Amino acid sequence: MSAEVQTAAAAKPAAAKKPSIVDTFLKGCAKGFKVGIENITPAMILGYVLVYILQETGLMDLLGTIMSPVMGLFGLPGEAFAVLISAFFAKASGCATAASMYQAGTLTLGQASMMLPACILMGTLIGHYARIVLVTDSNKKWHPLLIGICLLDAAISLVIMRIILAAMGVQ
Amino acid sequence: MKEKKEENKEKIGIGAWVALIVLILVLSGAFRTVDGPLKVLDFTNLSGSFGQIGDTGANLIGSGGTGAKDGFMAGFNLIPAVMFFCGLLGVFEQLGAFKASDILFRPLLRPLMGIPGKCGIAFISSFTGSDVAAVMTRELYEDGDITDDERTIFVAYQYAGSACINNTITGGAPLVAICPVALGPCIVIMFVCKLIGANIVRLILHAKRNKA
Repeated sequence: MSAEVQTAAAAKPAAAKKPSIVDTFLKGCAKGFKVGIENITPAMILGYVLVYILQETGLMDLLGTIMSPVMGLFGLPGEAFAVLISAFFAKASGCATAASMYQAGTLTLGQASMMLPACILMGTLIGHYARIVLVTDSNKKWHPLLIGICLLDAAISLVIMRIILAAMGVQ
Repeated sequence: MKEKKEENKEKIGIGAWVALIVLILVLSGAFRTVDGPLKVLDFTNLSGSFGQIGDTGANLIGSGGTGAKDGFMAGFNLIPAVMFFCGLLGVFEQLGAFKASDILFRPLLRPLMGIPGKCGIAFISSFTGSDVAAVMTRELYEDGDITDDERTIFVAYQYAGSACINNTITGGAPLVAICPVALGPCIVIMFVCKLIGANIVRLILHAKRNKA
């Protein structure tokens, strides 16, 4: 009897360790819902409000004029700089800003899509500086280099995406 | 010892490899425009779409909105695909797809980035989460498995884009929804850029070491 109880007790944690595929899927979906409500939707609201303010105040045009020589190197209008700035603070708001600019007609589909990898690669650099660079306790001497590398990675991705989208015939 | 053996056996099970291949196919976009049943092997197709309202050509998100309300609807629009992806990823993880990819990448770490194969698990987990990989990297250094320079190279890889798969699905969702390049190729592009960045750091550290 006691052996039986023991077996059952031993089997219980084993069963708890491996939930069914359906349970795992449902749990994952629920987690996704939480991420959607707590992370994505707030970022979208920030991005859309930011674009609205930039447009209505005329700051968007100003930004476009000032940044057009730099962004022009990647085939992007100067306004696209706002996407990269907001991505620097949060990946999600950078992507939301790009999507909103596409909706508003400031960016073409090709230009907005081109920035997806860049927004991720150079996104949330301050937050992740703490979570990755500081947590790994990496050599402080190289920290500025590590930040610079993220920006460089983003620039390379813009070039690669531009070539791929041009090859696909996306404007 | 026996338990360890069994664990290894589970790692290289055929199911894990099949799961990995299916996951790569689903994210690659290879079957997005295929006719017939194979089109279910595509993340975008599986995510589906909202129905149109009447013959307006617009779905429930509408068109022409602005500000916070439009932002909310745009966020709402993305939630089903994110939920689906998180569910899918959990299932593939349970099926062993990540363990299989660990075995696949482990021998490649030295040629790819100049870091030892011991970094394999941290490397794989860095695709879907930044914190576990960061803590593991610190431990690898503290245990003497990697040098200070190897840690810097590995951090240069992890820092850009951090958990690039999850961040693209969640943070990148507004652009993933419209991007003509499928999710899989986008992740490959990021992976390549991350590797280029890590190798630039590798070269700089190498040059510095030779000088000293």
